[in-house]
Amino acid sequence: MPRKAKAPAAPETPAAAVSQPQVMSIEQAIALAYQHWNAGQTAQAEQLCQQVLHVWPEHGDALHLLGLLAHTQGNLSLAIDYVQRACAAPSAPALFYSNLTEMLRGSGRLAEAEKAGRRAVALDSQLITGWSNLGIVLQEAGKLDESLVCLRRVIERVPDSPENHNNLGNTLARLGRLQEARREYKAAIGLKPSYSVAHSNLAKLLNDLGETGPAMAEARQAIEIEPRNLDAYINIAAICLARSDPDEALRWLDNLASVAPNHPGGLVSRARILKDGDRPGEALEAARQAVAVAPQSGEAHEMLAQCLARHDQSEEALASYDRAIALPSPRPEDKLVGKGSLLVELGHTEQARALFDQALKINPGTAGAWFNRSELERFDAAEIARMEGLLAATEIHDDRIMLEFALAKGWRDVGDDERGFAHLAEGNRLKRASFEYDAAATDHWISSIIETFTEAMRDRFAGLGDPSPVPVFIIGMPRSGTTLVEQILSSHPLVHGAGELKTLQGMVDHISGPDMRPIGYPKLLDSLLDTDLPRLGRYYVGHVASLGPASARIIDKMPANFLYAGLINLLLPNARIIHCRRDPVDTCFSCYTKLFQGEQRFAYDLAELGRFHCGHDRLMAHWRTLLPADRLTDVAYEDVVNDLDGEARRLVAFLGLEWNDACLEFWKNRRPVHTASVNQVRQPIYRSSVGRWKALAGHLQPLLDSLAGEVKK
Amino acid sequence: MTTLTPQQAEREARQALAANQFETAEALARALLAGGRGPLQIWALLATALRRQGRIEETRTIQQMLVDAAPQNVELRFDLAETLLLQGEFDRGWREYRFRYSLPHTTRLERHVQTPRWEGEPLPGKTLLIHDEQGYGDTFQFLRMVPWAKKKSGARVVLQISRELYPFARRMKGIDALVVRGEVPPPFDTHCEMMSLPMAMGLKMTDLPGRIPYLSLDQARVRHWRKRLADLPGPRVALVWAGRPNHFNDANRSVRLPDLAGLGMPDVTFLAVQQGPKAVEAASPPAGMRLVDLSGEIRDFDDTAAILSVIDLLISVDSSPVHLAGALGRPAWVMLPFIPDWRWLMKRADTPWYPSLRLFRQPAWGDWPAVVQAMAEELAQLRQASALS
Repeated sequence: MPRKAKAPAAPETPAAAVSQPQVMSIEQAIALAYQHWNAGQTAQAEQLCQQVLHVWPEHGDALHLLGLLAHTQGNLSLAIDYVQRACAAPSAPALFYSNLTEMLRGSGRLAEAEKAGRRAVALDSQLITGWSNLGIVLQEAGKLDESLVCLRRVIERVPDSPENHNNLGNTLARLGRLQEARREYKAAIGLKPSYSVAHSNLAKLLNDLGETGPAMAEARQAIEIEPRNLDAYINIAAICLARSDPDEALRWLDNLASVAPNHPGGLVSRARILKDGDRPGEALEAARQAVAVAPQSGEAHEMLAQCLARHDQSEEALASYDRAIALPSPRPEDKLVGKGSLLVELGHTEQARALFDQALKINPGTAGAWFNRSELERFDAAEIARMEGLLAATEIHDDRIMLEFALAKGWRDVGDDERGFAHLAEGNRLKRASFEYDAAATDHWISSIIETFTEAMRDRFAGLGDPSPVPVFIIGMPRSGTTLVEQILSSHPLVHGAGELKTLQGMVDHISGPDMRPIGYPKLLDSLLDTDLPRLGRYYVGHVASLGPASARIIDKMPANFLYAGLINLLLPNARIIHCRRDPVDTCFSCYTKLFQGEQRFAYDLAELGRFHCGHDRLMAHWRTLLPADRLTDVAYEDVVNDLDGEARRLVAFLGLEWNDACLEFWKNRRPVHTASVNQVRQPIYRSSVGRWKALAGHLQPLLDSLAGEVKK
Repeated sequence: MTTLTPQQAEREARQALAANQFETAEALARALLAGGRGPLQIWALLATALRRQGRIEETRTIQQMLVDAAPQNVELRFDLAETLLLQGEFDRGWREYRFRYSLPHTTRLERHVQTPRWEGEPLPGKTLLIHDEQGYGDTFQFLRMVPWAKKKSGARVVLQISRELYPFARRMKGIDALVVRGEVPPPFDTHCEMMSLPMAMGLKMTDLPGRIPYLSLDQARVRHWRKRLADLPGPRVALVWAGRPNHFNDANRSVRLPDLAGLGMPDVTFLAVQQGPKAVEAASPPAGMRLVDLSGEIRDFDDTAAILSVIDLLISVDSSPVHLAGALGRPAWVMLPFIPDWRWLMKRADTPWYPSLRLFRQPAWGDWPAVVQAMAEELAQLRQASALS
């Protein structure tokens, strides 16, 4: 999160004599008061101001200085009150308005701040701080081009101020001109190496560029210089997230909260991490708190909207998006894209499309809008050209990835599979470069799961878990039809689809040994006590029951739970597990074409995908030998497509429920869908997805090879 | 032994700390940190318990770990600063020491000067305002750096100093303008707190002590006191037994006059130069101690300085007259608690800051009698030497 660097400035005043005269004119008293303030002698400054006001009530200079004093002491509302009174006089100088601008901005009153800023530069176009403060307000209000004009004017006049370079860098960064912004931050740091704010802003920029290592170094430096640079903690948390380390991100936000529990940016970041980490209740709480402490913040309302949507409170979420859109903010287009994505999940694709268009009208470089549109519609040549132009210009790592995936879809739309695949490969390469993944270690891990879950262990723990029949797990590879199967089954009136839950994984990750450290899976099976099984089972049942309406069956369709199928059967012996399978090449290629929201580290390299799929097959074969057939069943995507009626009836019976015809009209189910398959399940079964990779077979050799590696065994 | 809840154990550990039972506090804290993990405040408690046992290196390790984990916690950073400086690790120590105005009880003391702080860079053609801070002792100690700052920066230096110490600054060289605290300084471009000078200039142990003496006397006062004290027999030893009572560590650094009874011996004349509320104790000196009470005759530090210049020795707890003696190059013996203020370092009997000072340290927490006994033995030798000469 960028931060500004302009404190209110004092007027130039001549030096007074060192000794204080007994009798002073008003002018002398004011001059002396400003000098005391400049030297940090606030008590003397305040006393002189009060003396002046005693003989001359509402004296502008005295009120203005009292405002500066209150600002220094951190009392922003009192400061604004004083300076507004000082500005009430018709002769109030530009400086008063300039300082008022910065104070209003500091308290989030952007519209008033902008008005004051414009007044300041209108009164005196030579006042540099006026242009600087106006430029900062315009930057926060998303009027970036105008902000750039103001801040460039400032730099021309005062080229050696580190603060001015930092401020200009912020506007350039928000315009997506990252290399120019980087030069400005570097210039600021060159002028003042101990400039914590510039280090922190540079950290954010480097993270946006995908350079997480140097970004972390800059953020640590910012905090080393100034431990109370709160934005630096938010930036570190973002870097940790980019490195897929949400626990470390939360630890930094805890550090921030220990000194500033109500920091809006900290609360918004916390809500984002908790939401993505499957702790939606805590996320919602943090987002509500953010809105409570910063009702003027578009980002806070946007995050609240996302959290409400995660809770399926769609109406409230849309209302929050509307509030976010109505407020001035640096990137209003992001709020439009967010609302649009929610409308897609709700099935209102026409309205969504209008919002994506609106976002692109505000900022044609809104990569998120293009990316979302690519899922909704076929692109034409003109649109593809615009995206290509955008891709050539943008430096933001995440934007590049989204554009590569959108272009991959676009070129395929117009029949150029070759170009489409080139973009797809590049998008995956960029994504893959942003995190660590060790395919060999994953293989080894899956082997250790197989070795841990023996028949002897199953028999030792048999019958100990929680007997609830409510939980249902849909597992498998991503893109193997789990969303479709969930949609069919959750159309049944007695079934609730809870979506992809990280609950089980979270429980497993937090089981600790005597030293309080997490033991890890599957090693934890060695230290599991008989009494742990019903306790953990009960915890899971209680948690999923709290997420939705009371139902006879609640579906958790986290595909990765296939890793835990044996454990599920121990904790919840009556839970049904449905394993979705699909042609391996179809499955893996479908993963490859998707930019997942969550963590799917194996899915951005064809060879790694195939290898992971083999591990998945190995493990599922093991589970089939261990688990009874009335608790674990397989369903093939191709069978569902060819015989919806037959497979749907079989699965409903597997769940132990009476048949209901609603399951055949699953695309009418208005339940929001949060996963990557959102746009497919809104349509009746479509067969185009089966075998669609065949045209690209030449590019898929690494995948075919790695899949074949397992077949040979 | 019954098992304690973590809350009970923490409470007991804090009580043990307050009762100076540091080993008990340590054991309780360590039990709470079994497995090497635990809440930050328990680690901080353990660090305090270790520090008060004099186990400074272990303390530093823990404090360093806490600062790495929670860099936002400026209280911990200030604790680390005091430990680093106590170990003589100036570089990192001075940097962490900058958080002295960020603590809950000090933030309102921070002076918000509206110009940048000097970071040691050259300032040709600019004006640097240096301003003193809290204690007189601090100012005496760091005044030596003002001329160094002028030399390093090339700036015109304005010094703002408390009225009480103004005369000493006026007699110093290398200060371009002088102004009393609270008055308006002449225009300046950049500023620096006096005790931020070490950080700004990267002060090293080898820079110390610099030229001694760096303070000078008011000669008229010297003439007055030479005359006033001329008739007093034997070695003349000035005594200070208490520092400023509102100093955070005063209970550990100050004593009562009767505690010094062991110093009393024939042929030695003691001079009470104690100032402040504890000066009244001079009215009833311990038996066997010949004590002349000068407290009421001392008007200011110029008097104290003049007295120190004509007598044989100052014996004092850790308070401002010690620094005055050191800065004047006059002999003084300093009585130090087991864990002293960082500036006295650990274990040594001398100090790099002042060659004319000798340090007498408590061998164990609170053990003033051992300090008094050690000084009495040394004083007896001094008396003998004086009698022979």
